Amino acid sequence: MNPRAEPVGLAARVLRTAPPLLLLAVMAALPLFQLGPNSLKLLFLTCVWIAASVGWNILGGFAGQVSFGFAVFFGLGAYTTAVGINQGISPYLTYPLAAAIAALASLLIGLPTFRLRGPYFAIATIGVSEAVRVVMTNIDFTGGSSGYRITEHGPFRQAEHYYTALALAALAVGISILVRHSRFGLGLRAIRDDQDAAADSGVNPYAFKLAAHAIAAAFTGAAGGVLARYAAFIDPEGVFGFQRSVGILLMPVIGGVNTIWGPVIGGGVYGLIEEELVAKFPQFHLLLYGVLVMLIILFEPGGVVGLFARARRFVLRRRVASWQPS
Amino acid sequence: MAALLTVEHLTKYFSGLAALDGVSFEIREGEIVGLIGPNGAGKTTLFSIIAGSQPPTSGRITFEGRNFTRVKPFRAVHAGIARTHQIPKPFHSLTVRENVEVGLRFGRGRAAADSAKESMEILELVGIPSLASMPAVALSVGDLKRLELARTLAARPRLLLCDEVCAGLTESEMQSILGLLRRIQSLGTTIIYVEHNLRAILSTCHHVIVLNFGKKLAEGPPEKMQNDPAVIEAYIGKKTEV
Repeated sequence: MNPRAEPVGLAARVLRTAPPLLLLAVMAALPLFQLGPNSLKLLFLTCVWIAASVGWNILGGFAGQVSFGFAVFFGLGAYTTAVGINQGISPYLTYPLAAAIAALASLLIGLPTFRLRGPYFAIATIGVSEAVRVVMTNIDFTGGSSGYRITEHGPFRQAEHYYTALALAALAVGISILVRHSRFGLGLRAIRDDQDAAADSGVNPYAFKLAAHAIAAAFTGAAGGVLARYAAFIDPEGVFGFQRSVGILLMPVIGGVNTIWGPVIGGGVYGLIEEELVAKFPQFHLLLYGVLVMLIILFEPGGVVGLFARARRFVLRRRVASWQPS
Repeated sequence: MAALLTVEHLTKYFSGLAALDGVSFEIREGEIVGLIGPNGAGKTTLFSIIAGSQPPTSGRITFEGRNFTRVKPFRAVHAGIARTHQIPKPFHSLTVRENVEVGLRFGRGRAAADSAKESMEILELVGIPSLASMPAVALSVGDLKRLELARTLAARPRLLLCDEVCAGLTESEMQSILGLLRRIQSLGTTIIYVEHNLRAILSTCHHVIVLNFGKKLAEGPPEKMQNDPAVIEAYIGKKTEV
């Protein structure tokens, strides 16, 4: 067996890049099929969640730093866009601003918390996230706990919202792929496996974690901004709440952490069922997620992607077993 | 030849216990220096401090004329100090080749454009090219030791700190690793080599430093150290009248 044998050449490259591009084309074409406003809303939410989920995975998956505090970035992004639009700034200018403010916040949060490791880091992010929620609940400028309304003049065009979210999700996946295959991504994976050994091999773990945190926060912040403009009303409990943090973490876990497509699948599943679950089981739906997470961790820590990989290995083994030399 | 590394009065306390107590020595460029001593003598602690994994309590380390006393581990690697761990610390979820690529792409200077090809060459050097696409978690202890050495070599060190790379290996595996160390040294890398196996030390090192209870006991050419009464006493004990 040649250890260097990897799929190379034009055919393999086309095979690898075609399915994602096809998916993007289908997603882009969907509004042409006269979907109802409800279906389009679900698709819009799915794209928003994919962007946040893919962002979280860059820190939580690639670098292995599990954060329970991404509601901070989602909420900051949402409020940045909300305030920006009300100040008369073009929505499309508020998204980069939302991303930048979320990234800046991620640095402030990361500087002290990345001194901690593993579960201690995770617990610290819960604390920071709750503190930010309480502060936002008490800031009068944005209406405190009673929420903040976005007033935008002009007609409401649902397709425009959808395409914005789709573009953001596609950008997030693109950056995620770039990171994964870069020197930076290799350093993150080394940190995930063994931070001390990574430092002994020349990786600067602190700087790399801060950078991954910032990229992840930027996408989560932009996703918050895109959702805020659509919702036209946001409140601290909704965008800064602990449920939001758990939701963002849940998607990559469902789909498969530390993979490119796991967070996309997870975001898709979550986006499509979340609304329905909340409507059907207003009190009960968090319990369902809890059970789901336990089942995933117990039986398939690789999530949906891990399940696929396992099925593929099973099929390949069957094929090898039934193979007869001629 | 000029001193590549100078260690002066290095002391490290672990809550009252002196793991290192005023150790001083110089390493000249191009040598293989053996570092020996009984268990708990402070050999691995010394390595950790030189590589920046732990700060010393006091003392001074100079590398190429620059102060490296409390250097961060990744900066030590960038400057050319790289270590292996006594118990290998591979990146489990990465393949063997990716493990080496971490060393290549984050080590001293700029990696070659084709890091995949270069990592294969290093794997051939340590004798595990056939394992390149295996995940590191699947490797045996002997192969993990080779991988540890490969990843460290990939960082293109000027000073290589080898911590018991031969422990637990068979005689023939040990001979091939020792041959490899001599080859690395002949290519211009200075090596400090911690080892319990005295035969390995005698056959490989130009110079030997003996540690005992955190203090430098003796220093000199290997043949002389072998017959030094203080060294024999530290290893075997003193002869007493019954």
